[in-house]
Amino acid sequence: MIVAGIDMGVQNIKIVILHDREVIAKSIIPSGFEPRRAAEKAFEEALKEAKLSLKEIQHVTATGTGVEMAPYADSTISMIAADAKAGVFLYPSARTIIDVGAEESRVVVCDEKGTVLEFAINERCAAGSGAFLEAMARALEVRLEEMGALSLEAKGTVSINATCVIFGETDVVSLIHKREPKHEIARAIYDALADRITSIAHRVSIRPEVILVGGVAKDLGFTAALKRKLETEIFVPENPEYAGALGAALHAMNKAGGR
Amino acid sequence: MMMEKKYGVEVSQKEAEEIKSTIRTAYTRLIAEYIERMKKGWPNRPKVMDYFYEIADFKTREKELIEAKKEGKKVIGYTCMLAPIELILAADAIPVRVSSGWYDPAKIGNRVVPVEVCPVVRSTIGVALVGLSPFLELSDVLITPLTCDGMTKLSEIVGDYKPVWTICPPRLKSMDQAQAFWREQLIKLKEEIERFTGVKITANRLKSAIKLTHRATRTFRRLQNLRKGRPVIMGRDAMLVNQTAMWDDLERWSMKAEELCMELERRAKENVWACSPNAPRVMITGTPIIWPDNWKLPNLIEEAKPQGVIVADELCSGDRFLYDPVGVDEGTMDDLLDAIAERYLLPSTCPCFTSEKGNEDRVNWLVNRVKEWNVGGVIYYVYRGCMLYAMEYMRIKKALDQLNVPVYYLDTDYTREDVGQIKTRVEAFLEMLEARVEI
Repeated sequence: MIVAGIDMGVQNIKIVILHDREVIAKSIIPSGFEPRRAAEKAFEEALKEAKLSLKEIQHVTATGTGVEMAPYADSTISMIAADAKAGVFLYPSARTIIDVGAEESRVVVCDEKGTVLEFAINERCAAGSGAFLEAMARALEVRLEEMGALSLEAKGTVSINATCVIFGETDVVSLIHKREPKHEIARAIYDALADRITSIAHRVSIRPEVILVGGVAKDLGFTAALKRKLETEIFVPENPEYAGALGAALHAMNKAGGR
Repeated sequence: MMMEKKYGVEVSQKEAEEIKSTIRTAYTRLIAEYIERMKKGWPNRPKVMDYFYEIADFKTREKELIEAKKEGKKVIGYTCMLAPIELILAADAIPVRVSSGWYDPAKIGNRVVPVEVCPVVRSTIGVALVGLSPFLELSDVLITPLTCDGMTKLSEIVGDYKPVWTICPPRLKSMDQAQAFWREQLIKLKEEIERFTGVKITANRLKSAIKLTHRATRTFRRLQNLRKGRPVIMGRDAMLVNQTAMWDDLERWSMKAEELCMELERRAKENVWACSPNAPRVMITGTPIIWPDNWKLPNLIEEAKPQGVIVADELCSGDRFLYDPVGVDEGTMDDLLDAIAERYLLPSTCPCFTSEKGNEDRVNWLVNRVKEWNVGGVIYYVYRGCMLYAMEYMRIKKALDQLNVPVYYLDTDYTREDVGQIKTRVEAFLEMLEARVEI
């Protein structure tokens, strides 16, 4: 049985194609100004990788902020349910899934079947999401991909307060003016974001194992900071940005009558 | 005679007229749209619901109030449900709640107070500034209970536009002196009302007023009890019926609500449901949901996929408003005043109160509702700026965790721009409740 999941993210569109319970293809494309066209292109790429045609996909499930614009969708699923399904699929012992995306962060608690028991989402503000890191890297004049490694050299001697992306930038600039070392500022940035995520996590009753997914999960600086704040082991799957699309694909599998 | 304005903010006549006409046009459309959506969501509704939809349109009642004032009646507005309406009714005056449930005027309120302030307060200031709210404009005087910080300063600010009578509830309501302190203020309020209306509030007049609110309370409870079983009424319709009691003629409201209850009881016997009996049963707690704009959340819950049904709430604008009766309707003036003072203070679950055990009354109310109304999940609704409700969340969550009832903290504001975001969250929550039932 062949199915697909599509995650219509704010920044990127992700697709996962499953053959039974095996991922046979995936693709990622920036959402841009025409998400629907981008999604069609993402499908093309994934299908090409899987050497399949659209007709051979038995069911497509869509999720993500732009779910209403998803092409070819036979059903939809909430991002929360998708996170839980993907988390338990990737790590059968996962009970808490933290998803930090471009503009939204979620903490989902589920049971062994991937049924959602509780969840919390960041407040209506970008300070608790990947957008915050992007803005801060800009202020610090380092590339986002380098900021994580940079922060790992720090000991933790300064701190900033991530209550707002705009004011966070001011904070960073004033630290630069005080000639604080860049790596220390970088660490402070990750700590600030991790603090926000931790306070979201404490709105629910988190339990092990804790899995971190979403685009920001690839950032070593952030995962290190979150481990410090939550004082727990955190597992990051390979390709964490595909978790939403994978959860959607698993839902498609159920819908299509597969295992 | 107008006193000098303490806060001094004014809007020019021309601008006020412009704002008024824009917002009024928008709201006429919005109210019509929301009522249409409610009708669509409950196609087999009883005919008497049309009455409540009409009252929800404000205009009918506005005309009646204008007529009543022509006949010399006084309209007494109040900003919070701690104002004892029996004292108003006993003086043959008309009570009407004036807190604003309109989003757009909050922006005008921002000229006086910062955006961090509670949006009900900002919006009420906004409507006062430009003369937008029919009920506030028609009020001859306002009773402003000083419950939270927002209400306290609102009292000063609206005092620039209307005469106000403040009453100050004690935050420790179980304290020995609390009841005496509170009673003292109600006596003072009674005297103010007598002076203002020229009507002496005798024990007999007060008894009649209590009888009137007793009838309303009986009906109000009957309606809430009907929501314990399988859904015979959509939650947002029940919420609207509850809320219209805040500006409708109470006797007529009781009559119509009785008619509604009778029909709903018949339907319960005949297994006629308003929606699927398997729909997840939701309760809302938190900041007041005031018609019309705040219907954002009830609309989303009951139009969601999967569809939820609101079976109870813990809102001062909802199930709490008329739930508790005054303890006596006989006896001396002293007995009656004691009973009224108790009725407004003791059952209140507002987070402005505390005690040795914190705000335990709210926890108890919620636990009771969850059990008796068979609630599947709770949405904790907070708009930005309400410190008290926001701060009490963790305590309420702990209590609900012990009952194994999921609760979702939904933060929002007086804005329509987050409808999409809230929809996603509400649907995920309902999806989760549905999945739990399947387990």
